[in-house]
Amino acid sequence: MSAGGLTLALPKGRIFEEAVELLSRAGLPLYLPEKSRALRFDMNGVQVLELRNQDVPVYVDLGVADAGVVGKDVLAESGRGVYEPVDLKFSGCRLSLIREVGAAGPLNRVASKYPRLTREYLARRGLSAEVIKLSGNIELACLTGLADAVVDLVQTGSTLVANNLEEREIVMHSTARFVVNRTALKLKRETLRPLIARLRALTE
Amino acid sequence: MRLPEGTRDVLPPEWAWRESLRAQLSGQFARHGYRGVDVPTLEFQDAAHPQDATAFKLIDRDGSVLALRSEFTTAIAQLARRRFPEGPFPLRLQYAGRLWLRGQASELGHLREFTQVGAELMGVRSPQADAELLEVAGSALRGVGVAAQLEVGHPGFVDGLLEDAGVTGAARDALHEAVDRKSGPDLAAGLRAHDLSADLGRTLHAVMDLYGGPEVLPAARALPLGERAAAALGDLAAIAQAFGPERLLFDLGMSRRYGYYSGYTFRAYVAGHAQPVLGGGRYGGRAGEWPGAGFAVGLERLTEVAARHLPPEREVVLALDEAGVRHAQALGLVAERAWTADAAELRRYAEARGLRRMVRGESFMPVEEEA
Repeated sequence: MSAGGLTLALPKGRIFEEAVELLSRAGLPLYLPEKSRALRFDMNGVQVLELRNQDVPVYVDLGVADAGVVGKDVLAESGRGVYEPVDLKFSGCRLSLIREVGAAGPLNRVASKYPRLTREYLARRGLSAEVIKLSGNIELACLTGLADAVVDLVQTGSTLVANNLEEREIVMHSTARFVVNRTALKLKRETLRPLIARLRALTE
Repeated sequence: MRLPEGTRDVLPPEWAWRESLRAQLSGQFARHGYRGVDVPTLEFQDAAHPQDATAFKLIDRDGSVLALRSEFTTAIAQLARRRFPEGPFPLRLQYAGRLWLRGQASELGHLREFTQVGAELMGVRSPQADAELLEVAGSALRGVGVAAQLEVGHPGFVDGLLEDAGVTGAARDALHEAVDRKSGPDLAAGLRAHDLSADLGRTLHAVMDLYGGPEVLPAARALPLGERAAAALGDLAAIAQAFGPERLLFDLGMSRRYGYYSGYTFRAYVAGHAQPVLGGGRYGGRAGEWPGAGFAVGLERLTEVAARHLPPEREVVLALDEAGVRHAQALGLVAERAWTADAAELRRYAEARGLRRMVRGESFMPVEEEA
């Protein structure tokens, strides 16, 4: 497969390693780079950009990258209109409504790193709570009384137990998705179509 | 000194480039018989307008609500009905002007105030008319030196599949959305959530991959199609036949983003640019509406994309008298008049402005020398 001229946006961290491993098996000449401060790699003709996961949909939508890998949670929160042809099935987690164990009062304020998804969830439930956007350690908002509940990622649930919190309802399930820029899919289809087919075969 | 978000100034070299592109596009459209019209910037607000949700609104003296023009096709179609009720048809019109959208995020290729140059072919419906617009669009882009790839689709194809399968309401919206994003996972989830048949699922999954060259058409024909989907596909094939299928890309998975189109849609891609430089399609033709089709070029995007073959800039000279102005202009130069006799001030200005020569009567002199 000729993959020259392709630019990929990958999120840093564990998902980067899993994405490189899967994309290599799908035929791209990628490899795990040595630990360095580089943010951009030329991997045998494929340009790889290492980004924060929230930035992957931006780079792909605006066409700076042709394709990328990003969690469905982050993609849905971004509201970007990119193609998302393959569920890569790793980095599984769920976005849930979380409250202190036994909390029963009304939901007036909900804190989250995902304000858009939180608003959509509250609207679906017919609730009119105020949404507070935070950047990290969302659970603290509940414990300190900043918010009545939080919407946040749950992977194993151990953080919740350690902090006297409980999961009340699942807002959405998320896994990593392969995303593609709308123009790139058409103009670089010679490369992208077979890549998508192999990724599907590998994840089915 | 600030500007509202999503608006911008246009400065001299870019202004000249934009105006030259706009004039070249209008000239290209005119060669095919498209005559220019202009419509007001202020419109009555109308809840049925396709961009009503994102148009800027103003309150008129009497309290009625006006909207800033947010889209051309609706306004041009209304002008046609007002001014050319008897045709003759087909009616070929072109336009150029500004549009405003409140909701647009301002980023690459998404200003809130932007310019479109476009053409509309109204009052007729035929594959030849649809192919004509592809021809006009393609040749206009070639005329300004842009190598673009035209892609056609037909939102009625996916909609017809869903209609033929009896899918309605929220399920239909969800599936349109998933197909348009070519999201296999979301499509599968939507089919499960609404308890839809595995046959429909297989067809829709296949439709998402129906993009590429003319080989897409026979692949689509091989699917189990109901009456409506087959009609949409037949329409698209006839247009492609009239234009030359080998000159087109196809995407049969294009769906809900183009709600007001009633026939084919098309866009032009340019390598290295994420946004299409041009888009259009067929609209109207339903009860009480005129049939029409058209397209618009985003002038800001085209300005970025088009190779810069500006006519070479003419030299500007500083004229010290009226005879000098006449002499310089007769030679095809640009003459700026001296506004003072203070030679030092003129020299300072000429240097700051990058002028190399002055002219008095019929003799030129370099700026460095005493005037």
